[in-house]
Amino acid sequence: MIRYPSFIIVFLIVFVAISLYQIKHFITQKELELAAINKKVIRAESDLNILKAELSFLKRPNRIEKIAKNKLYLKEISVIDIWNLQHLVEVTKSMAESEVK
Amino acid sequence: MKVRDFLYKDFSIKNNSKLRKIKLSICGALLTFSFVIIGYKTISLASLNKVSTKNISSKKNQPSFFVKSNRGSIYDRNGELLATTIKVNSLNINPQEILNKNETIRKLKKIFPELNDESFRKKLNTQKRHLNLLREISPNEQVLLLEEGIEGIKIEPRNKRVYPNNNLVSHILGGTNIDGEGIAGIEKSLNKRLLNGKNVTVSIHKGIQHITEKILSEQIKKFEAEGGAGIVMNAKNGEIYAITSLPDYNANNYNSIFNQNLFNRATKGIYELGSTLKLITAAVAFESDRVNESDVFDVSTPLRVSSRTIRDFHPLNYRLNIPEVIVHSSNIGSAKIAEKFGTSIQLKYLKSLGLMDKLNLEIPELGTPQVRKDGKLLSTMTISYGHGIAITLSHLASATATIVNDGIQVKPTLLISNPNPLNDRIFSSETSKKMKSIMRLVVSSKHGTAKKAQATGYLVGGKTGTAEKISQTGGYSENQNIVAFTAAYPMNNPQFVISIMIDNPKGQKFSNGYRTAGWVAAPVIKKLVTRISPILNIRPQTKLSSDFSKELIKYKIRGKNKGANL
Repeated sequence: MIRYPSFIIVFLIVFVAISLYQIKHFITQKELELAAINKKVIRAESDLNILKAELSFLKRPNRIEKIAKNKLYLKEISVIDIWNLQHLVEVTKSMAESEVK
Repeated sequence: MKVRDFLYKDFSIKNNSKLRKIKLSICGALLTFSFVIIGYKTISLASLNKVSTKNISSKKNQPSFFVKSNRGSIYDRNGELLATTIKVNSLNINPQEILNKNETIRKLKKIFPELNDESFRKKLNTQKRHLNLLREISPNEQVLLLEEGIEGIKIEPRNKRVYPNNNLVSHILGGTNIDGEGIAGIEKSLNKRLLNGKNVTVSIHKGIQHITEKILSEQIKKFEAEGGAGIVMNAKNGEIYAITSLPDYNANNYNSIFNQNLFNRATKGIYELGSTLKLITAAVAFESDRVNESDVFDVSTPLRVSSRTIRDFHPLNYRLNIPEVIVHSSNIGSAKIAEKFGTSIQLKYLKSLGLMDKLNLEIPELGTPQVRKDGKLLSTMTISYGHGIAITLSHLASATATIVNDGIQVKPTLLISNPNPLNDRIFSSETSKKMKSIMRLVVSSKHGTAKKAQATGYLVGGKTGTAEKISQTGGYSENQNIVAFTAAYPMNNPQFVISIMIDNPKGQKFSNGYRTAGWVAAPVIKKLVTRISPILNIRPQTKLSSDFSKELIKYKIRGKNKGANL
């Protein structure tokens, strides 16, 4: 005859053993998932580096300068191109005065 | 109860309460022990710590080429990429696995026509089991190789360091070897940090660097010079925005270049930078109690000291005060000033300005200054106008910045630094103000030597320097010059220091045969200031120069009979 406490003990042992297996299995799965994600991250980083390098290559200052000059007909900024608000007020005033005259 | 007694007990006897108790306690102990072990294991599995996960994921599951973390990237001050590591495929071969060598050669030649038949055949006939055929193949070539199905070939990934801007900042970035270890420049000095996958941001401004390189190389070409160097530096905290050494090289080809282009003229090359050193002489004179501001110096006759005669390029026949000595760039005047404050004071200031030691810059290619320290009067006099002292252009930029930064030392750096560093004071605020005023006059005065550095709208100040090159046979070469210009702007509140050096320019028709700093180096400053100021948000001055009377002293500079001297 199996006594009540023995039954509980056996049940507990079986329960703990199954739980332990489940936890171990779950963690192994998670580790694999993590490793796969990590691998993807590193690959993405590597791909990103290639894209960044390509972008930087295309943004080389000498290339941009050539395009700006030859295609967009841009010129280097000279001092007279730089205006501040005070300048604009003065210029507008003088223009208005000359119009009145 | 003893163990022995327990073993000899008759277990058949029933209702032995003592025995039952023992059995129960043994079972209990065993069960407790088992549960403790199970509990421990459960807790240890459940509590995943990050380190172990990282180890598991990196060691077990990563492919071999990702075992090492990628070397960190290098960015400029605006986050623009200057150097990074990318994955490329290399073509390797195992000659022992190839069945038909002729067929393999034919197939490979179809994809890589540039392959040398002979050397390739030699490689295939070796007993080795792993040979690198090509260090890098394109994705298209990889597809063709797979389509051909050649036995014995292995396409393996490897890391490659790339510098997308080719020649830009190549001397500062340096390079890495095949194993990805830094062997020059920032790559070497910050190797540990980069190897750990950490990125580095340098103080370089990609745009300003390009403009500096372009303007300087145009001038080098124009004057058929051997090379040159240029530095644009923040005058307050020493951050270097641009630093160039010409001729330069493509940083992607670092390991295959074996010529002088690798030499960094801006930080490694030491040169006698001529009259630019007069700025230091004047600053020391103002600081020293042995020289009065009202002192005048007779420069009308050449100065004979020991075996040497010190002359001026264009002699003046009256006594000059200190500002006039600098504006007219009188060697005799400078020598006489130095004579007055003496050798020990001169050396003390050269030392405190850092002109006698290597700079503490973040690259390994640094030049050690050579200063004549024999204590002789002649040496003191010649050092005062930049002969007998060879320093790097970076040293000159640093000293100029210290003079204009209210006299507080400025230490150049290639990394983003503290905006307000706590450095030592070398010169008084008053001396700095006097020097800024004189530097401005060198450019703005009609008698100044650097009129060609006058950039409309910007208060540029500085000092020219032309020195004969030291010839390889000893002594000075009369036909070869080093020209330099060290400038700061805007002089009422200097934000940036620009130092330029051009090696051995030739006189041109348009320069009337002149190859002095005023003709060669000064125009570079003008062009640079005009181009970089809008980028650096330095607005042109709209006020008249007289409005700066509070910030600058108005020294009166007398004229001379002939043109400007050095």
